[in-house]
Amino acid sequence: MSIKTRVSHDGLLARLEARRCLKDIEPRLFAEDEGPRHGEFSWKTELLYHLLCRCVLPEAAGGLEVDALFVDTDYSLDMLRLVSILDSRLSSGTSLRSSLSRLLVVHCSSSSQLLLTLHYLETTLNSRPSLALLLIDSISAFYWLDRCEGGASISRQEEKLSKCAELLGRLLRSVIMTGVAVLLKMPSSGLAASRSSTLEADRPYLCRPWQRLVTHRVLCSRQEAENHTAGGSREEKRQVFGVHCSSSSSRTKASRISPFCVTDAGVQFI
Amino acid sequence: MVGLQEGMCPGLDGGLLRSLLAADVKTVEDLVSSDLEEVAQKCSVSYKALYAIRRVLLAQHTAFPVSGADLYDELLSSTAIISTGNPSLDKLLDSGLYTGEVTELSGGPGSGKSQVCFGVAVHVSHQLKQRVIYIDTTGGLTASRLLEMLQSETSDRDEQMEALQRIHVFRLFDAYSLRDRLSTLRSGGLLQASGGGSVKAVIVDSVSAVISPLLGGKQNEGMSLMIQAALALKTMAKDFGVAVLVTNHVTRGGRGEVQPGLGASWSHIPRSRILLERTDRAPSGCSSTLRSATLIKSSRQPCLIKEELDLQWWSRSERRSSGKRKRDEADS
Repeated sequence: MSIKTRVSHDGLLARLEARRCLKDIEPRLFAEDEGPRHGEFSWKTELLYHLLCRCVLPEAAGGLEVDALFVDTDYSLDMLRLVSILDSRLSSGTSLRSSLSRLLVVHCSSSSQLLLTLHYLETTLNSRPSLALLLIDSISAFYWLDRCEGGASISRQEEKLSKCAELLGRLLRSVIMTGVAVLLKMPSSGLAASRSSTLEADRPYLCRPWQRLVTHRVLCSRQEAENHTAGGSREEKRQVFGVHCSSSSSRTKASRISPFCVTDAGVQFI
Repeated sequence: MVGLQEGMCPGLDGGLLRSLLAADVKTVEDLVSSDLEEVAQKCSVSYKALYAIRRVLLAQHTAFPVSGADLYDELLSSTAIISTGNPSLDKLLDSGLYTGEVTELSGGPGSGKSQVCFGVAVHVSHQLKQRVIYIDTTGGLTASRLLEMLQSETSDRDEQMEALQRIHVFRLFDAYSLRDRLSTLRSGGLLQASGGGSVKAVIVDSVSAVISPLLGGKQNEGMSLMIQAALALKTMAKDFGVAVLVTNHVTRGGRGEVQPGLGASWSHIPRSRILLERTDRAPSGCSSTLRSATLIKSSRQPCLIKEELDLQWWSRSERRSSGKRKRDEADS
């Protein structure tokens, strides 16, 4: 996503001006030539908060100073945790409110409401030209509700979610969402903590339109590492996770596993 | 799915509604996602009018975005921490049950989950003087047990009765009743059920007793009921500022370790999860009231910290501030 210059005074095209480039949102996660256009996250909400903080923090604290829209489907946004991560990264408490005001939270209680909210996105984007990140947590919240409502026919079960996916795809391809990255969090269907460092194959269980929408997949696995504290006889066992991003559009097949651990201050890459 | 109705918004009169229904546009979602030009042609109405109606309906039914700063301020002013009455449990939970969140207590049979729930209910109703909604799905709650626990807190008969009155009990034994009761409570029934007082805690003992018989196999209904009940609990917690405590059974995982039941889909619902187990060291073979509580999920504390819990804590008789024993047997 490059920075485009303003070509007319039309409100629609004004959004093309100087949306902060999200190319370097997290270089350890996304390689140089890829951008976080889409992503599918595993159950590590911490990674989501890490990226969210990176967006909304002021430049002085290492952030990108862009707006972010968080679509919360199951009340899983833990504001207290988010604020504690922001606090630990900010040097003084004064810019906490300004960072928080860059975050917009929308709560949806059903997939129909999610569909309507996505339709309303255009208006939201119009009023907030500095919006650069759309986070949806989590897509699969209504999976079982829709499945039951749909009865026996699979197409009826997937109808609402497919409409959301198609709409999102259409919006992303249109000029409205130029410069906006979308991140989807999807808890995996059957997660088992594995001792080995190989990654669990994440079997996608959402409908086809969603699977087509996603171009980058970020998978997480738990790696237990024993860490000897320097000079001490006590062994400290830290929960270390490995994260791996695979992209359907990347030219190189190299997949790097970046280890990180979660501390009070959020995700720390090792 | 919200159906289109006459008078929902200016411009949506009976005639237009009938032609929309004839064109197979029955709900707000249909209208919003349909191709307006096509629909305008079919219903022979102007595109502009339809576009205006769509805009109004969208603004009415969409979820309203809130700024993070406002959300944080609201959270600071409305979140309270409800102490459970047991200092070891409070330490594990980072001072207690947080309102607006769901906390889960899991354990095998006899591990003391119901006992902890009774203790929390008694503490909240007597010490904190707040109302409690207790949903019992196992039949394990008896008023005499609650009274016994209250009698160790105070010997004043009136105070005991008042505290008992603040605990509202619902007995349900299947998943549909649970879902219906939670939906009723969520949509305003909370105040009615508690007789107008402020409810600070909702305890469901146990969720898995009614949900797990419906899980597994090919039917989707069990999972859907579980998610509906879960969403009702979370919405209730957030909207009414109550602390929700649920209990769950345990199963064995892939490697044979003990883990909470109800599967991976449920595991995202509670914000904090505690596993209760019997301690290995039982003093000279007699039945011990000590349990070991492990924090397996938390957003505030490091995971897997353990505390030893004394189930008898809530029934201790020497707890008055003066420190003197005041068991008045003649009065009870």
